[in-house]
Formats: sequence, structure tokens, C-alpha cells
Amino acid sequence: MTVTGYLADFSLPELFQLVEQGNKTGLLTICTLTDPTTVARHNHHIWLSQGQIVAAGNSLDQQGLMRLIAQRGWMGDRAVSRLAQSCQLNTPLGLCLKNQGVLTAEQLKLLFYTQVMRQVCALFALPDGWFQFDPKAPLPVSEMTGLIATATDVTLSGLRALKDWDALDEKLPDPSSALISVVESKPSLRLNPNEWQVWEFTNGTMAIKDIAQQLNLPVAKAQQIAFRLIVTGLAEEMPMIAAPPPAAFELAAPTSLEHGYATSVTADAAGAAPVSQSFLQNLVGFLKGKV
Amino acid sequence: MEIMRLVVTGPVGAGKSTFIRSVSEIEVVDTDRRATDDALLIKKRTTVAFDFGRLQFGPDMALHLYGTPGQSRFDFMWDILIQKAHAYILLVAAHRPHEFREARRIMTFMKQRSPAPMIIGLTHTDCSGAWDAANIALALGYPDPARRPPIVAVNANETASVAQAVISLVQFTWAGSLAPAT
Ligand SMILES: Nc1nc2c(ncn2[C@@H]2O[C@H](COP(=O)(O)OP(=O)(O)OP(=O)(O)O)[C@@H](O)[C@H]2O)c(=O)[nH]1
Ligand SMILES: [Mg+2]
Repeated sequence: MTVTGYLADFSLPELFQLVEQGNKTGLLTICTLTDPTTVARHNHHIWLSQGQIVAAGNSLDQQGLMRLIAQRGWMGDRAVSRLAQSCQLNTPLGLCLKNQGVLTAEQLKLLFYTQVMRQVCALFALPDGWFQFDPKAPLPVSEMTGLIATATDVTLSGLRALKDWDALDEKLPDPSSALISVVESKPSLRLNPNEWQVWEFTNGTMAIKDIAQQLNLPVAKAQQIAFRLIVTGLAEEMPMIAAPPPAAFELAAPTSLEHGYATSVTADAAGAAPVSQSFLQNLVGFLKGKV
Repeated sequence: MEIMRLVVTGPVGAGKSTFIRSVSEIEVVDTDRRATDDALLIKKRTTVAFDFGRLQFGPDMALHLYGTPGQSRFDFMWDILIQKAHAYILLVAAHRPHEFREARRIMTFMKQRSPAPMIIGLTHTDCSGAWDAANIALALGYPDPARRPPIVAVNANETASVAQAVISLVQFTWAGSLAPAT
């Protein structure tokens, strides 16, 4: 199904995590909201195959990669079009040109870097935008170099390079939260030294602000690193219990809770008392009468 | 008196208070107050303490429902309640992707603190911009459909729908001990 929303609600790193974990194939379009300084809206397109990014561009005319090649001065658009005609139907244009000996592997890498890494990473700083993921859109071979990047890799690189975190500020984990690892073994991602250091604390016991202090990092920096670990699927934010204010118990209990409940709870042993078979049968029977 | 305690949790405005009101026979204690700036964007009133609802269905059998407060921080009351809960339902408004991350935080907290079984209830599936269950599952961190809690759609405003969600929760929690439905 098509997924739509606003980046201010569901951020690009979250979106990338979703398409990667869901192994999605299709087209992600991001439409920047009208910016007062420019009249035109801009569309950004990112094509994915099984959760991996295969191409990106800002138009749907199938000419983006050719333009990039021409910009580099390696070949004119017309020459590329002519060569492209002899490409096989499902072969990415970049790969086809390499097979024909007109582009080198290094040149392809450079193209992919410009087309995907540079363009997509710039999007992490967008304050908002409307997005749509269309799983039915066909993959455009003429925009593809044949190289791919996992969404996670792009997120990691993009967020590491991000200078202005305003757009994502609200998404960062709370400094009073801890982090808890959600992977069984050591991450296979290539983390940088700071990320490794924070990773060592993903045991659900130390607040991010304390981790920052331990590592001599600004709190904001530690939050940003924590966010990277979260959106790359390595850790989750674990809220910690706030210490009770001395009078809170009396305040909270009688207004909202059943009389005597709070006291009986503390008196009992931990855990819920088992309920009987007949209780369950009766309850379900009773509820079925309401359905 | 035999009592089953269910906790209804979820991000601000998911429908927790409404859910409990829909299935309770007693007047639910209203602890809703004017929301602070953050939540005002979503709704005017928010629950500041735990909701409590009750359903007595036999001379000595009752269901107790506790709703977590929308904006409050995780405090010791959460701990007391979830330690005593038999099961819980996480309500998530399907049309508010902004809150999916908060839903994840709540889930991580609950899983860490309580072994009680959980199901996910999607509310507001009738609202425009609602995501489908498969994508919400992904957004909540469940990529594998075979390894995720049951996800049910529930309209907190409709008693029948809420009753069905509670049945799902009970049946999931006591899958082994409930005889096949008649
Ligand atoms: N259309 C629609 N509205 C719903 C649904 N579920 C709940 N609502 C409405 O959502 C609004 C918020 O419900 P509440 O019960 O106050 O939510 P809450 O989770 O208790 O909110 P907090 O206490 O602030 O966290 C109410 O107006 C409900 O009527 C649903 O499935 N569909
Ligand atoms: Mg409420």
C-alpha cells in the first residue's frame, strides 16, 4: 500500500528504516513544501529495490543520469542516448555503459556518489516535506548506475555529515532516557569511534545525559549518536522511571484509582495473580454479548 | 473477588480514555485536564493521571482497566500498575505517524518492566491519512509478520469494537487455557 505523510511527523531516517526493514521496492517521492524564498516546489525521487537505494533524482524524465554524465564532460547526452539504445531492457544504464567500455568502474562510483549519496544526504536537513512511497512504480533502468546502497548506510553517512539538526531535533531521544540494544551480537555496521563508545552503553541502565558525561561529549552530540543507533536498527530508546516526588503517591492514588488499590498492590507480592478458567470463560462470554 | 487487570497504554490521544469508557459500567473517573502546548496540537484535553474503569460480570468476578496518562513521564505509578497487570493493549492512532516513535518508546519500556503479554490496537483507522497495519508494524519495529504481537483494529468510540479487542487480548494471553470458542 502507498504510504504518505509529512517528514515533520515521520522523519527521513525513520522512513529509510521502514523501507529497508520492509524490503520495499518502489519510488519514494519527497515534495518540499513551498519555501517563501522560492516559488517552485521541488520533487526529490529515490528509487528502491528490496530496501536498497538504486537511484535518485529530481525529475521523472529518465534523463537524470545522462545529464550527470554530460555534466562531467565524459560524453554528450546525444552520444549517451545512442549508446543506451543498444542496452538490454533490464540492464541499468550505468552498468551497460561500463560493459560497452565507455565508462570505468571508478567513474560509475563517482556518478553514484553524486546521484545518490550527495542528493539524498542533503534531504536529511529538510525541515519538512510531503512524502509518498509508491510500491507500484517501475524501476527506471536509465537512471540506474547498477550500484546500490543500503538505506541504513545512507542514513549513517547522511546523519554523520549533518551540521544542522534542527529538522530532527524533536525526534532525538530524551537525555533522560537510556538505550537498549536490540541486536543479538556486535553490530556488523561500520560504526565510528564515538558510535562504538555510545554503543557500549546500550544496556538500558544509563541515561544518555550520563553517557555524554562519561564520554566527555556534549549532550546534544550523544543524543545524535543515539538517534543514529536507533534508526539503523541497533538500539531502542528506553525511558527511565522518574524518581517519585515525596507526596506524589497520596496525590495520585485517591483521585484516579480504585480505593484501597494502591495499598493492596504494594502489600502483595509482585506479579499478577492467576485467574481461573471459569473467570476467563465468563468474561469472554460476557464480552461476546456486547459485540 | 476475582479480578483481572488490563492496562491500556499508548501515545497521547490514541483513545485510551475513550476505550476504557466504552467498556466500563461505572462512571470513569475523569482526570482529563487542559493539555499543555505540545499535546494541544493534537487535542484540547488530556489525561493527567491514570484512568480507571471497571466491569463486573459476575457476583465475584470483575475486569479492571487502567489507562496510562497521555503526557506524563514514566513514573513509579506505571511500575506499580504494570507489575500487577495480566496483560496490556498498546493503542496507536493509525493516522498519526508522528506518534509512532512514542509508541515504540512505551513498548520498550513496558517490555523491559513487565512480562505481561501485549497486543496492539490500531485506532483512528477510519481517519484520513491512516496507515495500514503492515506499515505500522514496520514503523513500530516488527519487520517479521510471523514474529509480532497480534494487531487488531479498534474504534475506541464503539463498545462492540472495544469488547472485541478485549476478547482478542484475553484470548491471546490465555491461548492455552481457553477452550475453543463455541
Ligand atoms: N474517528 C475515530 N476517533 C477515535 C477513535 N478512537 C478514539 N477516537 C477519538 O480520539 C479522541 C482522543 O481520545 P482519548 O480517549 O481522549 O485519548 P487518550 O489516549 O485518552 O488521550 P490522552 O489521555 O491525552 O493520552 C477522542 O475524541 C475519541 O473519540 C477511532 O477509532 N476513530
Ligand atoms: Mg486519556
